[in-house]
Order: sequence, then C-alpha cells, then structure tokens
Amino acid sequence: MNPILSFIVILVGIYGVATSKNIIKSVFSVTIIEAGTILLFLNLAVYEGGLIPILTELGMDVVDPLPQALMITTIVIGSTITSLALMLCIKIFHHFGSIEWKVIFGGDK
Amino acid sequence: MIEYMPLLFVMIPVVLSIVIYLFKFRMVSRLVFVGQAAMISIFIYMLFEGVYENPITLIFGGWSPIFAISFYVDQTSLIFIGLTLFMWFVILLFTFKKHRDDHMYLFFLMFLQGVFLGLVQTNDLFNFFVFLELITVLVTILISYNKNGPSFRAGIYYLLINTLGAMFILIGIILLYYVYGSINIQYVASQIGQFSESTIVKLAYVMMLSGISIKVAFVPLYSWLPRAHGVAQTSVSALLSGLIVKLSLYAFIRIHHDLFLEASYNTGLFFFYIGAITGLVGVTFALVQKDLKQILAYHTVSQIGLMMMGLSSLNDVSFSGGFLHIINHAFFKSLLFLAAGQIIYAYKTKKVYDIQGVFKTMPFTAILLIIGMLSISGMPFFSGYVSKSLIKYAFKDNTFHMILYTLINIGTVTSFLKFSRILFGPKLDVMFIFRDSKRVIAMALLAIVSIAIGIFYLPIITQVFGFEATQVNLFDIRSWLDYILYVSIGLVLYRVVIKKDFKFLQKIRNFSMSFEDANYALILFMSVFISVMFFMI
Repeated sequence: MNPILSFIVILVGIYGVATSKNIIKSVFSVTIIEAGTILLFLNLAVYEGGLIPILTELGMDVVDPLPQALMITTIVIGSTITSLALMLCIKIFHHFGSIEWKVIFGGDK
Repeated sequence: MIEYMPLLFVMIPVVLSIVIYLFKFRMVSRLVFVGQAAMISIFIYMLFEGVYENPITLIFGGWSPIFAISFYVDQTSLIFIGLTLFMWFVILLFTFKKHRDDHMYLFFLMFLQGVFLGLVQTNDLFNFFVFLELITVLVTILISYNKNGPSFRAGIYYLLINTLGAMFILIGIILLYYVYGSINIQYVASQIGQFSESTIVKLAYVMMLSGISIKVAFVPLYSWLPRAHGVAQTSVSALLSGLIVKLSLYAFIRIHHDLFLEASYNTGLFFFYIGAITGLVGVTFALVQKDLKQILAYHTVSQIGLMMMGLSSLNDVSFSGGFLHIINHAFFKSLLFLAAGQIIYAYKTKKVYDIQGVFKTMPFTAILLIIGMLSISGMPFFSGYVSKSLIKYAFKDNTFHMILYTLINIGTVTSFLKFSRILFGPKLDVMFIFRDSKRVIAMALLAIVSIAIGIFYLPIITQVFGFEATQVNLFDIRSWLDYILYVSIGLVLYRVVIKKDFKFLQKIRNFSMSFEDANYALILFMSVFISVMFFMI
C-alpha cells in the first residue's frame, strides 16, 4: 500500500474537522486522522515478503516490530480520547439539548 | 542509586493518587503533602549530588540506548521539575481545605503531577506523545469538573483541538523515525544534521511545531485557552496558566532547541513575529474584557507571546530571559488567579465593574494582588522586570522590534489599571470570605518568590543560567522613567478609550472563534509555516 493513501485519509479527517457542524462528526474526524496516522506508520514499516515480527528461528526476514508496538499504544490512547469525547457529547446533549457547535456556543458571547 | 531517582518523581504521585482514591479517609488525603515533601527532598538531594552539572540518563530494561525507553535529566528538565514541585505544593495547599474529602479530585490532580514529571524527563519521542495525550485527557476532566454545561463544552473544545495537535506531533515523530530509525531524542538530535535538508525532515519539523503551537496557544490557535480558563475552578485555572501552558513551551524548547538544533533551520524570526502578534492580539483582547478571569486568561496569551520573543532568539541572554519569564509568569499569574478566585468567591460575581472596595474588604488579598500586578507589568524590584529586560536585550537596537515590545508592555499596564479599579471604593459587607490560613500561606509564598526573584536576581541567574546578569540594573533611571511613562500612557488610554466602551471595542469583546474557525486557523498557520520553511529559508 502506498503511504500517499494514508495521507489522503489524514486529509479527509482534516476536511472533516474543518467543516463539521456537529460535535460527533468532529470526534469521528479526529478519529479518522488518527486512523490515517496509524496506517501511515504501519505502511512505512512493512515491505513485501517481510514476516510477522515473531522469531521462531534466528535469521528470519521480519519487519520492524517497533512501529507495531507503538501503534497499539496509539490505538489505546485513541480509544480513550474517543470514549471521553463521546461521554462529554452525552453530557452536552443533556445540558443543551443539542450537539451542534453553533447551538452550544450560540447563547454565550 | 542516584540514576534511579528520576523514576521516583513519576512513581510517587501516581501510586499516591491510587492510594488516595482507594482508601477514602481524610487522614489518607493528608498523604499528598507527605508525597510532596518526599519529592522535594529527593529533588534537593539530586541538586546536591551535582545532577545540575552532569545530566543523568536512566535506561529501562538494559537495551541498547538507541532503542530503549529512557529518561534524561538535564538542566532544562531540572528547572521544570523544581517549578512543578513548587507549584503543585502551592496549589494543593490552596485547594486542600475545599477538596480534602473529594478524593476523585485529588486523584486526578496527583496523577496529573506524575504524568507531568514524566514528560519533562522523558528521552523518548513516543513517550513524549503519550504523556502529552495523557495530560490532555486529565486536564479535560479537570476543566469539566464543575459538571455544568459551559464546563462540558469548554472541555470538549479543549480535548478535540489538543488531540488534533497531538496527532500532528505523532505524524512528525513517525516521519523522523522513518528517516533516522530511532525515537531516542539524544540519538536523533546527534544525527539530525545528516538529512536536515530533506523534505521529509522539514515536513516533520513543521508538523511537530504546528502541533506544539496549538498547545502553546499562539495567536490563530489560542481560542481554547480563554474558554478553558473561564469555566475551570480557581486552582485548575492557576494550574492551567501556571504550568500546563508552560509545559507546551517546554516541548517547544525540547523540539526546537534540542532536537532540531543541528539542523539549524532559520525559523527564529518567524517565531519572533508569531510571538509579537500573539502578544499584541492577546493584550488587545485583554483590554476589552469585562470578566476578571478572562482578562487574566488573555494576559496569559500575551505573556506567552513575550516569552516566545525571548525563546526564539539565538542570543543566550534573550533565551534565558524567555526561560526566566516562563518561571516568573508561573508564579505571578498563579498568584493573580488565586487572588482573583478569592475575590470572585467573596463577591459572587466575575464582572470587573461590579466589584469594588477590595482593598477595604479583603486587605491581605488586595496586597497580594497588587504584588502580582506590579510583577506582570514589569515594575523594577519585581520579578517581571528582570525577565523582560533580559528578553529585550537581543533586539534593543532594532527599532521596529522595540516598538512591538513597548506596545505589548503598554497594553499590559493599561489592562491592569483597568483591573485595579476593583481595589478602590467603599467597603462592602461580603458574607462569603473563604477564611483559610492555608490559602493565605499559599498566595504569600508565590508573592514572596516573585519579590525575591526581583531583588536577588543576580545570584539566582548566575546559579541557574550560568551568566552574570549585568544587563539588568534596578537603579537605571531609564527603566524607571519607562515604567512611569507606560503607566501615564496607560492611564490616558484607559480614561479616553477603554472606559468609554466604544462600539468597536464591544465588537472585539464579542469576537469568538468557533471550532471550525479554529481548524481553518490551524490550516492557515500550517500553510504559512510550510511556505516560510520551504520557500523563504
């Protein structure tokens, strides 16, 4: 897979955060950017013919294990952020009756 | 033994926070002070063992240093550790009586300290990102801790925009790993010159610095900061202004000055102008606000601009001035926030024009507030003066830069003249004064430190930054005249313009950036940065 593809995913996410009127859509756009980032790192680390980095015998042709270890951590952090953001969305809906950016920031100047 | 001590700075607060959360007795919450005392004594022991001169590296798991997770404690880290320990002690002292039975709050506060101390010591780019994200999550929870509508919306605004910034930092880290094959800051910094002209490394630099710029709150990207300050509790506001924003400046120093030092990109002037614009815009917004906390929040933005004007400089004196201003600002801005919090609690309003007679009603708080205001406006004998004189050292012959600097200073003085009107007037019978000797001690500590740096700056700067600060002269007639001039211009400006509350001032006050606008601003900032990086340098 081409790294350019993951940059396209990231750009889709940036388009999302810049244009969404809805908080949930903004949250998802941030998630899409994160997914693109993860794809980018994994793309840069794999090559054709490389094996899974679990050594059963010495001298195997494995891919770099570090990106995969790091990206698992990133996924965990991403799920934390998403769940916290969605929790805040529920609370905001209870307080304002809406999850549009314009409505929740509309009343106060 | 000494090389394992950095680990304790992370372990003690985190373990303590879990203990406090699990055993919900009042005796247990007093343990926070035991923990602080333990960490402060470890810190002093480390200083006596000479860590300040010889940085220590702690490698986990015995791997090769290039791949291992490691801690690296040098002078920058130590200054920030000392600042963090002191500030946390003060904030805990201030807030303890209110929150001693609120174990959840103490849990988040202590956990945040552990993460914070981890970030200032880490030597690993990925851990750097993880700690930044953890801080974002914890600060979001602390901002929305009041559990009302405005605090939730400020929380989600903060969370999303800062996560976006962290994602850009992560993309930068990935690109660096792709080129250099390591995420060890020391190693990458030593190799950075090799490929510094390649597009990928330049792109990595732009990505990381843009991500950090969101967290530092430079001007097109500052909009989360006033929102967050407006709704948070007093202690959280003080923490946000005093430390969380400073942490992003720490990230700036680490990335811009340490990691990309050998690459020698000439972005100093770019960041200087960003700092100057940040200072001017921040101070303009501060001038027109009517809300005590908003005035202070916008002042944080403008003072960050001032720090950037020093930190972007290649001159050692100016850089140290910016660094010293980070420390000084942490002290006096927290002092101002805590004192303002006391006043808001007593008067039950945040509006500047509704509060009067603080000097007669709460004399001690008023005196502390005045110390904070004199420090931030740069009066000689107070800490702000020292760092501001050092910052202007590098560009004092450049007329245009001096004009920008002077405008920021005049704005600061003017808005604090506006702020100080709450002090005068008849005594009011307020019923709600929060009488707590611990709060007074906490604020007095900050005030004492502010004055001490202002008077004994020579030995302090020699000890910390290693040069003789002969550039600062307390008895220089010129600086006194300057200060008096600023105050008189400020008085005229306040009487003639600000007090009249013209239409365009109201327009500026009502300006607010929606989330989409903030993202457009980010895209704009990044495109300007990229064009500066690739076409102008």
